[in-house]
Amino acid sequence: MGRTRRAGRIPGILLIWLVAFLWCFPLLYMLITSFKGEADVLPPSLWIAHPTLENYVSVLRYQILRTILNSAVISISSVCACLVFGVPVTYALVFGRLRNSDNLFFWFLSTTLLPPVAVIVPVFLMFRLSGLLDSLGGMVLIYSGVNIPIVIWMTRSFLLDVPQEILESSSIDGSSRLRSFFGIILPLARQGIISTGLLVFIFVWNEFFFSINLTYVNAATVPVYMASFMTQQGLFWAKLCAISTLVVLPPVALGWLAQRSLVKGLTMGAVKG
Amino acid sequence: MLLSLPAIVIVAVVTQAPILATVGLSLVRWIVVRPDLGITFIGLDNYAEIFSSWDFYEVVLNTALITVVSLAMCTVLGILFSLMLNRDFPGVNVVRTLIISPFFVMDAVAGIIWRAIILNSSFGWNGYFASLFKTRPFDFFGVHSLLTIVMLIVWQWTPFFVLIILAGFQNIPLEVMDSARVDGTGWFKELVFIRIPVIMNHIEVAILLGLIFVLKVFGLIFVTTRGGPGYSSANLPYYVYKTAFLGWEVGRAAAVAVVTVVITLVAITALFRWFRRRIGGAV
Repeated sequence: MGRTRRAGRIPGILLIWLVAFLWCFPLLYMLITSFKGEADVLPPSLWIAHPTLENYVSVLRYQILRTILNSAVISISSVCACLVFGVPVTYALVFGRLRNSDNLFFWFLSTTLLPPVAVIVPVFLMFRLSGLLDSLGGMVLIYSGVNIPIVIWMTRSFLLDVPQEILESSSIDGSSRLRSFFGIILPLARQGIISTGLLVFIFVWNEFFFSINLTYVNAATVPVYMASFMTQQGLFWAKLCAISTLVVLPPVALGWLAQRSLVKGLTMGAVKG
Repeated sequence: MLLSLPAIVIVAVVTQAPILATVGLSLVRWIVVRPDLGITFIGLDNYAEIFSSWDFYEVVLNTALITVVSLAMCTVLGILFSLMLNRDFPGVNVVRTLIISPFFVMDAVAGIIWRAIILNSSFGWNGYFASLFKTRPFDFFGVHSLLTIVMLIVWQWTPFFVLIILAGFQNIPLEVMDSARVDGTGWFKELVFIRIPVIMNHIEVAILLGLIFVLKVFGLIFVTTRGGPGYSSANLPYYVYKTAFLGWEVGRAAAVAVVTVVITLVAITALFRWFRRRIGGAV
């Protein structure tokens, strides 16, 4: 609900458009370049002389398809694991009668403060000993451990929105805890929980540090592939731009959907503080 | 409650147990590529070595510079962009999308795109403008590599600040604005003395979350400068990575990791104290 000032100020609006265009320029130029022939990439220009889809066709080879599949499997599995294990904790924290619920919540939150470097060396050794190195399962385990606290953090704000009276009236009706969780809480907080899932998907899809250190070939994810693109494929920039556009599209689209809940979930408790 | 148990176990296995192990490993000498040396307990020698090496201080200074400068710029730009977006004009939603998108782009792609097609001194726009104006291209990856890292972080994280600060502006009660207008306060005065104080909560939260994330930055550095030249654009996470996975000095890497955790916690606690709040606003 922007507050309308007089709309007659065209230069100001043009300036805003220019700033936004420049801010997004690297991404826009990436999109433009992805439709150019490899020979037309240089010198840089905004004009596509001979538009072509050949880059998109030629990059979709076995190796990249496999990393995209790896990323998809790891991201979707992690989202499911995080929600399945995380949301019940939030439910217990918000509606349960835990004695130390504040402490438990704070413990989960405090793990999000820690930099991943704090755990990487033992995790690497643990993975090597147990054969989890370079495996999809190992990555799902790591990403679940890292993102469950984020799920708890985010969904807490949404569950707090559910009026306590609704739950109380249902317990008078004699419905069980489990039924009230699935029948009342989940439907009411659905929007927030879905957005939290989208956010975790984005985090996992984009994650770089763990995947570069814990995967090589079998479980290599998209960011790992992208980091090695220039050394492996050479300076084919139109192709680089095509594959970049493809792998950036899902998180940008989902991020667009989840942005409002993202702000609410991450800030609500804190902003009230 | 029994329901919480699996989550607690998973989080503990992935984060808590390894941290204790990291502390333990920081007390041994273990160089993986030198199996002849074995694994020996050396007490605090790793820490003594770290604190007497110049590389370490350079990296700590870089980390501090990257964090302070980029958070300051994100805050200022975040407020400016939010002011731009907090009004009605044709295409406001498109403009919003353009500004926010970089936040959702993975580090690996953001770094590569900037390096290859924008800042590249021979093939990117950097080289193009240099030849246009007959000057030498700006040396983004040599002398000014730290500046480049800060710039990329600001590019990626300003959108996050915009999301939070814009939500703050949009939540200002109309009465506050109306009373200011009745008083005849000027636009700039109104901004500095009324609107920014009202949304101070949002700004502080953006800075706190920004701090937590910026201290973890790794991918951007990995794909653009590799911390170089030398250690000139390396931060603490990259330093740990380099010690552990390029030098294979497990004990020393663990010690740097422990120091990193301590610095991180001190920085976050200090900022929390300063803003007088606890995470999550729980208390």
